[in-house]
Amino acid sequence: MAISWFQAAILGLFACLCSNSCMAGQAVGNYTIGRPLVGGLVCGLILGDLKLGIACGVAMQLVYIALVTPGGTVSADVRAISYIGIPLAMVAITSKGLAPTGSSAADLAKSVGTLVGTIGTVLFYAVATLNLVWQSFGWKDVQNGKLGKLYSVNFGWPWISHAIFSFLPTMFLTYYGSTAVTALRNALPMDGVAMKTLFTVGGMLPCVGIAILLRQIVSKPIDFIPFFVGFTLAASLHLNLVSVTVISLLFAVIFYEVEMAKGSSNTPTAGAVSAGNDDDEEEDI
Amino acid sequence: MQKTEDIKTIDKKTLSHSFHLWFWGALTCFSQEHMQTFGYMSSMLPIIKKLYPKHDDQVKAIHAYTAFFNTNPMLGTVIVGITASMEEARANGKQIDGETINDMRAGLMGPIAGIGDSLIDGTLIPILLGISLGMSTGGSPVGAIFYIVAWVLIAYFGQRFLYFRGYKFGDKAVSFLVGAQGAAVRHAVGVVGSMVVGGVLATWVNVTTSFKLRGSDGKVFLNLQDKLNSIYPGLLTVAITLFCWWLMSKKHVSAIWTMIILVGVSLVGVLLGVFNPGLSY
Repeated sequence: MAISWFQAAILGLFACLCSNSCMAGQAVGNYTIGRPLVGGLVCGLILGDLKLGIACGVAMQLVYIALVTPGGTVSADVRAISYIGIPLAMVAITSKGLAPTGSSAADLAKSVGTLVGTIGTVLFYAVATLNLVWQSFGWKDVQNGKLGKLYSVNFGWPWISHAIFSFLPTMFLTYYGSTAVTALRNALPMDGVAMKTLFTVGGMLPCVGIAILLRQIVSKPIDFIPFFVGFTLAASLHLNLVSVTVISLLFAVIFYEVEMAKGSSNTPTAGAVSAGNDDDEEEDI
Repeated sequence: MQKTEDIKTIDKKTLSHSFHLWFWGALTCFSQEHMQTFGYMSSMLPIIKKLYPKHDDQVKAIHAYTAFFNTNPMLGTVIVGITASMEEARANGKQIDGETINDMRAGLMGPIAGIGDSLIDGTLIPILLGISLGMSTGGSPVGAIFYIVAWVLIAYFGQRFLYFRGYKFGDKAVSFLVGAQGAAVRHAVGVVGSMVVGGVLATWVNVTTSFKLRGSDGKVFLNLQDKLNSIYPGLLTVAITLFCWWLMSKKHVSAIWTMIILVGVSLVGVLLGVFNPGLSY
């Protein structure tokens, strides 16, 4: 598989739309176009191998299922994962002759995507830094009372930041990177330590994504229990995710009622303490 | 034409314009220093232009929004709606000044960021993605299309609802957001989130070991993976996940370093023969 200049340029345009501080808005850009699952669809359409694109997108989406950006800090960059990582992974998988939907293709995709995504955070900070220039224009406009110009500060000038730090890097890396990836094929044999490690890491990386979510959810050890119940339902009882969600809704209703009952029957401060103890006792039984 | 002493109200078209500016532009001109400040100013601009016919008043009014602003852009829509209603009250000569508006904004952006990140980024999106991933198994585009349609509809109409609710209730909306009922809803949604995340992990991630002990006759007498499965299916997957969680939340290791540590664990495991993806050309 080779990537033409034209294909590389379209990938670059999508990178502008989706990268954080994205030109297509947060909900549509970052949270839709930027998700690897959607990126897989787009890259699959652009590169003409829908099945492989989706398979790579699915694999990478697992790693980044919880791409939370607390306080505007990023640990991975969606433009790099979805529009540099997925195309390169597609090239790598094709050149290695792996089955598109197999687990080894998925593990390779995860490793390539994570590597590129992590390095890609540089692009995020570069865009945010260049935007300071446009913002300085904006402060002058506010001082001089030219309020109408604020629209071009917010919606126009940042395109330049993205042309430099989203469009160009994506276009060049996907165009030249695909040649490099193909050349690497013989350098690293599949049964060597390097490739074995790469594939093993690929299989483990989604654990980091889930752990980031857990860090948000778990504030005390007891919070692990719903997580383990969900895991057991799927791992031991082999329920699918819709079924797990339906069962969890029942627990959600119970928790809501308990919480509301707590609030109405007790004074807030004393109630919180005694209700907390009741919870613990119930869990012990 | 209305006289200046008449009550000024913002019409629906202006509110809608302001909402769209926020929906598309909350973060377009992002920088580490000012974050969403410019997104906020541009979404307040139609409202200010509507409420203050005189240019000098407009310039004076916009200064209330030059302060630093950053929150969860989805749930944060409610704050923009609330300030629209407060700005209206200010234009009508109520006891509200720029400082009151700014205090409310500054006071809400922290809690809304926390609630929004855990409810939307941490719960709603992983649930949607988890379900969509299942539909895209085997390279089918159905899951990706389902996610696009479901999420964009939820995001657009959800944020629209939040904006107009914020406008309708003004600063009274604050008490629901941080009140007891809001907390109960968050707790309940959090339970759904935790269970689905557990399900996502079990469905999609499968860390296995290839470690086997062989007797002198070459027969396998200990297959570690089979033993682990008989204790608790997926034990190794959960163990690696908890290890990552422990590193990040207890040892304060960053996500990137956690990944690098996993590379080390894998390398050692491959060398010892614990992990083997079993690939060849």
